[in-house]
Amino acid sequence: MSKKTHTEKITRKDAIKKMGKYAALTAVGTFVILNPLKAQSTSPPDAGGNPFD
Amino acid sequence: MQVEIHSINFFFTLKNDLAPTYAYKFGEEWVLWYAKSNNYSVVSLHFKALLDTYLESKDIEEFQQTLQLKSVASNLKQIGSALLQYLEHCNTVVSDANERHYDYNPANQKISRHYLISGKYIEVNFDSQLVEQLFHPALAYLEVTHKKHSADTQFDIYLENNDLCLFKNKALIKASYKKDYHFIQGKFIFEIINTIHDKKALDWLATFHGSTITNGVNAILLIGNSGKGKSTLSSLLASHGFYILADDVTPLGCDNQNLYYNPSAVSVKSGAFKVLKPYIQNLDDLATISFNTTKGALKYIPFPKPKDNQYPCSAIIMVNYAADSETELEKTDIKTVLEVLISESWLSPNPKHAKQLLDWLQSIALYQLHYSDTASVVDTISHLFKTLDHK
Repeated sequence: MSKKTHTEKITRKDAIKKMGKYAALTAVGTFVILNPLKAQSTSPPDAGGNPFD
Repeated sequence: MQVEIHSINFFFTLKNDLAPTYAYKFGEEWVLWYAKSNNYSVVSLHFKALLDTYLESKDIEEFQQTLQLKSVASNLKQIGSALLQYLEHCNTVVSDANERHYDYNPANQKISRHYLISGKYIEVNFDSQLVEQLFHPALAYLEVTHKKHSADTQFDIYLENNDLCLFKNKALIKASYKKDYHFIQGKFIFEIINTIHDKKALDWLATFHGSTITNGVNAILLIGNSGKGKSTLSSLLASHGFYILADDVTPLGCDNQNLYYNPSAVSVKSGAFKVLKPYIQNLDDLATISFNTTKGALKYIPFPKPKDNQYPCSAIIMVNYAADSETELEKTDIKTVLEVLISESWLSPNPKHAKQLLDWLQSIALYQLHYSDTASVVDTISHLFKTLDHK
């Protein structure tokens, strides 16, 4: 096991120990998922500012 | 209980291959990257610990044991189900289903413009003034009236069946529904950037939605939601001794992770004219573009190009202009920055590039700026540049 992985596991064990049952339930909600654009873009037009409206 | 355990173990059989490809720690948060979808996720330390435990547990018993939870089957089911849902969401591929195909039609060349940009002759043909006004004003200051025998690159932009089409050297680059014209603008400026820097699409890690300023040594990327004053701030700084490397679209090269020059003039909305007027002498003389009558006008301000085509980025600042606010620059966290940056930027889906991008992000200082007063914000940014130059 590499030193880095070993350290990560200790940190995780500590985190889990501190967490407890109820915090584990809360922790499953502490994330965001971010999707980048599929293609290059400039600033999108403001509402009402589209020349094709 | 046996049936319950069996149904919970269901959540442990589906998770294979859903694990994040890369995980990077930024302070009190982790940034995870998923190769299948090119999605990024920012999670808390606790979430990461829970996710790793889940991914490494072969069944419910092991998960329960590691978490040191007493047999609270409903909680475990809830946690297992939430983590699986999370992983599925992270791995969901959103396809660009609206790809359209058109053949090149020279009959659509009604208006021709020629530009000389960083030594390259570029010809752009439009089918109408309506289409021309979406592309020409940002480059108008680079227009040349004498037509060179043959352009280095030719673009054609025209409407076909309510789709806006972009051709480069007569080959279709992209077509989008006309109301999504910002994707064609983005692709057009991206192709201009490729042309002037002699690069290909694969040579970039990202094109960020943001403006970049430089002091000739380092660069700072200014990001923020629409109307938060990115372009206004970069224009103010460009009137006080700094240079604008890129406005609105900032490319990040993969060869050296530098930010590159984008020749577009800076687009500012009518709300910023008053703030900028004391510092930009010819503001009133610049053409005003009005896309329609219900919305305020735009001006495109050209600024002198910085000496070099590329600079290393030392900081990202999330900009927040609010009338009468004090100038305040403070460190911020990766979640705050990525929430704004990622959803409006194109990031290369190549795993090697994603790793380079995450490595690059780890070397960047992250700030949040509130401002309204020009003198104090110029002082603050000058001071920050000096600090970054000494690092």
